[in-house]
Amino acid sequence: MISEDRIKGIIENVLREMGSGEISTDLRTREATVSDDDIVDFGATDLRKQLLVPNSANEEAYLKLKETTPARLGIWRAGPRYMTQTQLRFRADHASAQDAVFNSVSEEFIKEWGILEVSSKCKDKDEFLTRPDLGRQINDETAEILRKNCVNKPKVQIVIVEGLSSTAIEVNARDTFESLTQGLKGHGIEGGTPFFIRNGRVPSMDSVSEVLQPEVTVALVGERPGLATSESLSCYIAYKASTSIPESARTVVSNIHQMGTPSVEAGAHIADIVVKILEQKTSGIDLK
Amino acid sequence: MKESVLSAGIDIGTSTTQLVFSRITIENTASMVSVPRMSIVDKEVIYRSDIHFTPLKSRTEIDGDEIRKLIEGEYNKAGIRPSDLQTGAVIITGDTARKENASEVLKNLSDLAGDFVVATAGPSLEGIIAGKGAGADLYSREKGAVVANLDVGGGTTNIAVFRNGEVIDTACLDIGGRLIRFTDSKRNVAYLSDKIKILLSKMNINICEGDILSHADAKRVSAKMACVLEEVIGVKTPSKDLDLLITDCDLRRDYQIDYVTFSGGVADCIEKADRSLDDYTYGDIGILLGHAIADSDLSVKRDVLKSIETIRATVVGAGSHTTDISGSTITVTGSALPIQNIPVLKLTSDDEDLPVEKWGEVIKRKVKWYRLENEQQKLALAFKGRRNISFSQIQVLADSIIYGLENGSEDDSPLIIVVENDLAKALGQTLKVRLDFNRDVICIDTVKVENGDYIDIGRELSESKVVPVIVKTLLFNY
Amino acid sequence: MRLKTKLFGTLYEFKDLNDVMAKANEEKSGDKLAGIAAATVSEMTAAKEVLSNITLADLRNNPAVPYEDDEVTRIIQDGVNEKIYNELKNFTVAEFREWILSHETTGADLRRASRGITSEMVAAVTKLMSNLDLIYGASKIKITAHCNTTIGEDGVLAFRLQPNHTTDDVDGIRLSLFEGLSYGAGDAVLGLNPVYDTVEPVSNVLRMFHEIKEKFEIPTQTCVLAHVTTQMDAIKQGAPADLIFQSIAGSEKGNTAFGLNASVLSEARDLMLKEGTCEGPNVMYFETGQGSELSSEAHHGVDQLTMEARCYGFAKKYKPYIVNTVVGFIGPEYLYDSKQVIRAGLEDHFMGKLTGISMGVDACYTNHMKADQNDIENLSVLLTAAGCNYFMSIPHGDDIMLNYQCTGYHEVPSLRETLNRKPIREFEIWLEKMGIYENGKLSKRAGDASIFIK
Repeated sequence: MISEDRIKGIIENVLREMGSGEISTDLRTREATVSDDDIVDFGATDLRKQLLVPNSANEEAYLKLKETTPARLGIWRAGPRYMTQTQLRFRADHASAQDAVFNSVSEEFIKEWGILEVSSKCKDKDEFLTRPDLGRQINDETAEILRKNCVNKPKVQIVIVEGLSSTAIEVNARDTFESLTQGLKGHGIEGGTPFFIRNGRVPSMDSVSEVLQPEVTVALVGERPGLATSESLSCYIAYKASTSIPESARTVVSNIHQMGTPSVEAGAHIADIVVKILEQKTSGIDLK
Repeated sequence: MKESVLSAGIDIGTSTTQLVFSRITIENTASMVSVPRMSIVDKEVIYRSDIHFTPLKSRTEIDGDEIRKLIEGEYNKAGIRPSDLQTGAVIITGDTARKENASEVLKNLSDLAGDFVVATAGPSLEGIIAGKGAGADLYSREKGAVVANLDVGGGTTNIAVFRNGEVIDTACLDIGGRLIRFTDSKRNVAYLSDKIKILLSKMNINICEGDILSHADAKRVSAKMACVLEEVIGVKTPSKDLDLLITDCDLRRDYQIDYVTFSGGVADCIEKADRSLDDYTYGDIGILLGHAIADSDLSVKRDVLKSIETIRATVVGAGSHTTDISGSTITVTGSALPIQNIPVLKLTSDDEDLPVEKWGEVIKRKVKWYRLENEQQKLALAFKGRRNISFSQIQVLADSIIYGLENGSEDDSPLIIVVENDLAKALGQTLKVRLDFNRDVICIDTVKVENGDYIDIGRELSESKVVPVIVKTLLFNY
Repeated sequence: MRLKTKLFGTLYEFKDLNDVMAKANEEKSGDKLAGIAAATVSEMTAAKEVLSNITLADLRNNPAVPYEDDEVTRIIQDGVNEKIYNELKNFTVAEFREWILSHETTGADLRRASRGITSEMVAAVTKLMSNLDLIYGASKIKITAHCNTTIGEDGVLAFRLQPNHTTDDVDGIRLSLFEGLSYGAGDAVLGLNPVYDTVEPVSNVLRMFHEIKEKFEIPTQTCVLAHVTTQMDAIKQGAPADLIFQSIAGSEKGNTAFGLNASVLSEARDLMLKEGTCEGPNVMYFETGQGSELSSEAHHGVDQLTMEARCYGFAKKYKPYIVNTVVGFIGPEYLYDSKQVIRAGLEDHFMGKLTGISMGVDACYTNHMKADQNDIENLSVLLTAAGCNYFMSIPHGDDIMLNYQCTGYHEVPSLRETLNRKPIREFEIWLEKMGIYENGKLSKRAGDASIFIK
């Protein structure tokens, strides 16, 4: 490996030979004052367009096939091991996924949105992760809060469920919600009072539905993150949801994020599904 | 969810007229729990007509009535009614002279071809369609290579070059099997094209229509044509003859062609090893030209791949490969579809870089300028759009579009918006709300168009709710 | 049977054998979730002491799930060679452990013993083993199986090439496949987890695998890991498959939740022997994982380790080519962190080998688990030392379809070079022929998928 200093030395020599030795000091000062805008975000590289294999047998075909898959391919190697840059990117993506799981949706975010916040029976993140049973339920006090603050028996109840990605909620839930609400309004449907369930799992939508008894429940839930994105949101929709209905009675729209289905587009699509569910009075596998 | 679309392809060429019916299968390729992503998963030719000689009234005029009869006959034979068709393309190919009465011919056919028709295509589009029909695009993707298809027909040779499945270059030459025609097997010349006359005189072959062309000279001129094809592909150094025979644009030749495919009527004479057929069976130089190409360096210096279609490449291309489909989440209100030949006004990337608040003025200015230049008032507004657009930004975008497209008068024609990125449903819904549901909106996405293209949009398919789309690129600029 | 013990002045008493088994387990969040785990490490140790004095006969006579109620129990019990069992039945679990670890006991002895024991005995002795015990014990046991090539030979470490794709896009799968091959992966199997569990897409991928295998003359096996019945339909309709796959559980009820039973698997095996494209005789591929029975409420109050051992006992009936545990896939409610995943990986591998099946491990973790890539790199080294038959391999360890991480294509040469292991012999010759290997190592061309595209 050629060190950075040696490269600098070579450049200085070349410049000196060209009769402009002054610039060498320029280089140093510029390095010291590099502006934040010039720093490249190493998490922003589009991996599909990046081919690190040197002198590959068929570079064009490689790149073309890479477009067909988000897998980390064409990443080359250091001996048998990973290149430093891809290893760092992998760790960065994993960090982002873990942050999404282990951090909670910030209280400011919910406050700014202006929706009601309640919690599942889990007292913290650790309990949420190890006790899926508790993440499905709400306690009596929470039920009471909902009864007091929310429209009873609305046509459509939208709930935001924290799930396994706080990032998905913070990045994608609100736009999805707004677009969905606009779509429903277009069909003359008013939603109930939206609220957020902290440390909730998907079936918590059933528990709250038993309290408020909407005709249709729409839950926007943070998906368990993969490395490709930690921002993916899922939507579960059920007709007359209750804790006794099977999972197969839920209609699911997953993969809502910038690289999947963009949130506003997903919201508009979900609105149409809700209309269909109201028409057919069923959801999940029975929905045609 | 699987759905199929029936498509017709009709190719009215210099010498032959053909028809195919294709079944295009559309399927959701997203996982069950995602927003559907409909894609074309299969294209199957379910009916191939006989190959008819193109009925002519004169040397330059197609006999529209006869064409109609012929097409009608094929519909009956196939047992297909025009109402069964959802999409399709009619292409009049070959000598431009023939196209003089093209619009009349097309009008004659319009009720037969359903309400979904492509008019005449330029030579570039012809070459691309033939290349796709021959499978050159598929080969180039499979092999990760550059593949050139030479569609050698009666009047012209259209070349399309594909790299990894995409067109990178096209050319058209006055090389074809019927540029010299004979009245009988004694090589009594019935017809010589103008360019061929020049070529012959350059070769010191001085004959006119009515003279007899010697077998040796017929072979010489065929070899010359093959030689020019070697030049255009880059096997030989380009000569003045190439300049002469180029009709609109030459290939750039700044890339290496790895493989060659042949289609068109002459292609069969290239592939067939058996040369028992009399050289003048078709009363033209087609067979000799085929042999000359087979004997040329084209097949020595480039790997020749077997085409999926030869003489039927163009018609199969027209039937199977012109139709695309929109994205799966779109907005279509009212009953304006299908619509045809809508010119596309696309915002530039510089325009798109402006904040969406400013788009209204840009659109207004461009539409005004466009309407000064063109008679047609209808247009489709196209742009790429941002993937990560927020709900509040989409409201602003919708307002800008409405402001930009309103023309003062009481216009209630539908708004036609074509977006590249996936946001047509949200945008369409917002437009509807912002227009108080007073105007129809056709807002589709996942369709890539360029300024100056024309677009046909078919009716929504019943199951998948996508619309068939044909984008007609008239100009092929690189 | 003594079900109580005294430790540092405290008396520990256990309800029954299942209670002893559960509490003797190393800590697992899944046993806690089921409410059957030891409350303290002292209680766990006490349970281990009680278990150490239980005889193999006691374990035979008290299966975790009653014989009458459960097909899996019946298959395990009926498969026991009574002669061998009679030689072993008076061992306490402690003695059995020491016999396994003894220098006098050879791999052949252990392979023979595997025919005379039940899964409960396998689980019990595992509970008394430390991590290094598990590695040492497993390393003695060589289990080979043959499909098109032989897996499990000494000094060989094979890899499944897992080119999963978010939408089963054939081009995307193909590129991943090529890249994996270019790192020397794929000697165990070319195996895709499909997104769509229907005949047509499954057949498409099988055909593509077959074409590539034929075109480049790759000595390996192919498989698409759809539900067994989907694969059977595809094969009946002519799709080429070398192996047939299914996820299995350690109880009949668990298998019902997976949509299968013993006769479905027998039918699948018969079909493969008749219509599969491989040589055989080993044509089955199974996956398992601690906790799956609890997640389908089919655990019968039994701990997850014992249920896992029963999966292997069940699998053995079908003479599988390969079986692997997907050890960290299930999530933190069953295996909380890297410590638990590493322990479970070593346990599962040892148990598989002691059961007598060709065992591999999907060393993996999900993003809601407290584990990272370093942890499974550790686990893969430990398991290689233990003589694991194969691992998975995916691009950069990131499975874009299943959304979890496991061993990557780069781990293939890294583990082989570091720990002196080789690919399956025929495959190694092929790698040399393709120029991917030179002198038993990656060549300069290795890592370039595009050598397969022309």
